[in-house]
Amino acid sequence: MKKVININFQGRVVPIEESAYDILKKYVESLSAFFANEDGRDEIINDIESRIAELFSETLKQGTTCITDDDVNRIIDSMGRPEDFEDEEANVKSQLGGEQKQSSQQQSYTYQSSETKKLYRDENSKVLGGVCSGIANYFGIDPLIVRILFVIFFGVAFVPYLILWIAVPSTASTIIGAQRKRLFRDPDDKLIAGVCSGLAHYFGVHVWIPRLIFLIPFISFFLRFGHWGFWDFPHFVSVSFSPGATFIYIILWIVFPEAKSSADKLEMKGEKVDLNNIKNTIQSDMEGFSKRAEEFGKDLSQKAQQFGKNISETANTHGTATVKKVGRGIGDVIVIIAKMFAYFIIGSILFAITVTLFVFGVMSAGFLPHKEFILTNGWEDVLAWGTLMLFIWVPFIGLVTWIIRRIARLKGNSKLLRSVFIALWVLGWICFIGLLASVRNDFRYSNHPEEQTVTLTNAKVNKLELRVPPHSKYYSNRSWFRLEPFENLDDDTLYIQNTKVRIVKSSSDSFQVSIVKFADGRSKKEADDIVSKINYNITQIDSILQLDRGIALTKNEKFRNQSLIITVAVPIGKKIKVDYDAGENFHVQIGSNWDDEGWDWRYYENTHEENWEHNREYIMTEKGLQRTDKLSSDEEDNSSNNAMDQFKKSKEQILREKEQKLRELQEIDKQLQDGTDSNRYHYQPEKNKKADPVKKQSATINKQLFNDFLMMRFYM
Amino acid sequence: MDIQNTQSQMRKGVLEFCILSIIRQGEVYPSDIVEQMKRANLHILEGTLYPLLTRLKNAGLLNYRWVESNSGPPRKYFMLTDKGLEFYGVLENTWQELADAVHALTQPQQQHSNPDENNPNSNQQNTN
Repeated sequence: MKKVININFQGRVVPIEESAYDILKKYVESLSAFFANEDGRDEIINDIESRIAELFSETLKQGTTCITDDDVNRIIDSMGRPEDFEDEEANVKSQLGGEQKQSSQQQSYTYQSSETKKLYRDENSKVLGGVCSGIANYFGIDPLIVRILFVIFFGVAFVPYLILWIAVPSTASTIIGAQRKRLFRDPDDKLIAGVCSGLAHYFGVHVWIPRLIFLIPFISFFLRFGHWGFWDFPHFVSVSFSPGATFIYIILWIVFPEAKSSADKLEMKGEKVDLNNIKNTIQSDMEGFSKRAEEFGKDLSQKAQQFGKNISETANTHGTATVKKVGRGIGDVIVIIAKMFAYFIIGSILFAITVTLFVFGVMSAGFLPHKEFILTNGWEDVLAWGTLMLFIWVPFIGLVTWIIRRIARLKGNSKLLRSVFIALWVLGWICFIGLLASVRNDFRYSNHPEEQTVTLTNAKVNKLELRVPPHSKYYSNRSWFRLEPFENLDDDTLYIQNTKVRIVKSSSDSFQVSIVKFADGRSKKEADDIVSKINYNITQIDSILQLDRGIALTKNEKFRNQSLIITVAVPIGKKIKVDYDAGENFHVQIGSNWDDEGWDWRYYENTHEENWEHNREYIMTEKGLQRTDKLSSDEEDNSSNNAMDQFKKSKEQILREKEQKLRELQEIDKQLQDGTDSNRYHYQPEKNKKADPVKKQSATINKQLFNDFLMMRFYM
Repeated sequence: MDIQNTQSQMRKGVLEFCILSIIRQGEVYPSDIVEQMKRANLHILEGTLYPLLTRLKNAGLLNYRWVESNSGPPRKYFMLTDKGLEFYGVLENTWQELADAVHALTQPQQQHSNPDENNPNSNQQNTN
């Protein structure tokens, strides 16, 4: 069953099937594109059309009721397609031009497409899609070079490669005369929307290959609980990319038109439907572009001319003309440069936004497992999903869709699409702001901090070592996605590492350990409640002080900026050591300069003692902590005095050395008189000593800044 | 060297000459030209013929006349102008020389068929 329409073709009414009309229309369009640069284009097309009309009326005279697809295709075959006579034409023209020897005639035969270079995908020496060898052909270089570059920059070049693959016509379309395939959704062979079967038609592969590619992330998603080595990566991929696959599918769904008419279906499968649309689009694009460029050029050249006139007032008439010419030339160049620059900037910005959105989308997808530890169920959950979907993914899909549609030059219901996208995005903004407000509310109030003393089983030990339990295998495997202060995410338990250790001087002769707990909440009471739920264990086993790895949270207890400050007071003459693992986990601070009364729990700064090192034994002296290995091998019992002595001694020694060097310097100075080589003898022992800690400080500060940044986010 | 390419080039070289000679015999309708050429086993697409005729006409070698047709729109019948006739005469001379030259070269020494096949083309271009 087919719809028949009546058309006025060369002054005759012709009943024709709608699909046949589509084919005919495309054929005539392809002809007019092919003869676009020809002088008598309209006449040629008119001649061909009237011949077709004649053939139509012959067909109708034989008793058929209307013109069918077959009739049109048969007629087109006899007339020939642009692809068929392209080669022939070029030769005929060159011959004709040569024989006539008329320069005016020859000029009209400057037919472009056979001479200028065009970017094609090379069908003959392709590896994947022929893009690399096509580019190599275009620039006249070895395909191998392009391929190597592509492999090196695979991460960056992959997406452009796909785009070129789709957008650039294959050489097969001109050599064999086959129609350029177009991407459609195939409604006849679909599971969801026919995207995969459309892709399969386009790339000439089996339907199940694209389907499998889309399914892989989902398959690995089901393997997420397999946490032995190899499957760890697919797990990560699945968390972040199974939504990704869905989004790509949705984008393609929007971008690909459905193959509705039979002409569409033929195009989808790459069978012959005569349309020289590649040339068509490029030519129409170029026409528009040159017009616009001209307008801009006129605008600017007028200004340039005015400028030229001003100059010409002092010059003679002959000068004016040349200035005008030069002015126009400069104006054009400026316009072209400005336009290129603008396009480049706009392109870069679009690209940057798209990538940023994508990264945010993937990041948030990776963050999803942590979500339940922060958000209360219900509204915040909805807002979080709304933010992820509408605020991040919708503009991403929108941008990518827009770019692809621009490249593919698809027309259609883009206005509707645009308003839908904008509406969804506005909704996304609302979700995002709502979520921020709600979360900010959750962190509005802080608790009343109270210092609790931890009872030690043996406070009189000579040495205390701070330790945390080692990582279990299970946890250390899962470091693909790590976001401090969250660590050690179990499926229902989260360990927060907002823990600080403060080492101060004890006023008594025994170790004292105290702990202060903090949290935020919607109210002071809620914050206090949350604090009371913090379960943090400190146990002493002889000289070892075992600390928990972090504050354990279950999904019922949300993350509300819980943090701890553990204060260890070390008596003078006793030793303290922070185990390497513990040191990595905690922000260790040392110092006796805080006086406990005036110290504000909230606003103290995260200053690290600059030469503090984990996994080293320190000893408390009158002047603060000293590293034991810097002391000479004295006995432990009177080490504090020795340390002081040692310190004084070493200082004296340095001073003596300095004096000696100075004397040497003076001697050399006398010898040289001129002092040309004085730089060498600027010897400053203090400087050398300090160089190391400074580096370390900057490293620790960096880490500190990152933590502060994260904390800041939750204060917001 | 692509044999098909060479063949089609050889054919195309004489295309206008053949078309002009058909038109010289009297007013003719383009699809009749195609028919006549097909009968002589020289194939040309109508889509190629129409632009060629238009160009020859624009060069002042051809003229045409509208003839009412009962099987469709009015038809264009083409004929040679004086200039076209002159043009045809020059071409005919060239062809005669070429044909003699090819005949002389190909007949006595059959074994050198390969270089001879290329000769007509290059000869023709030289004479032009």
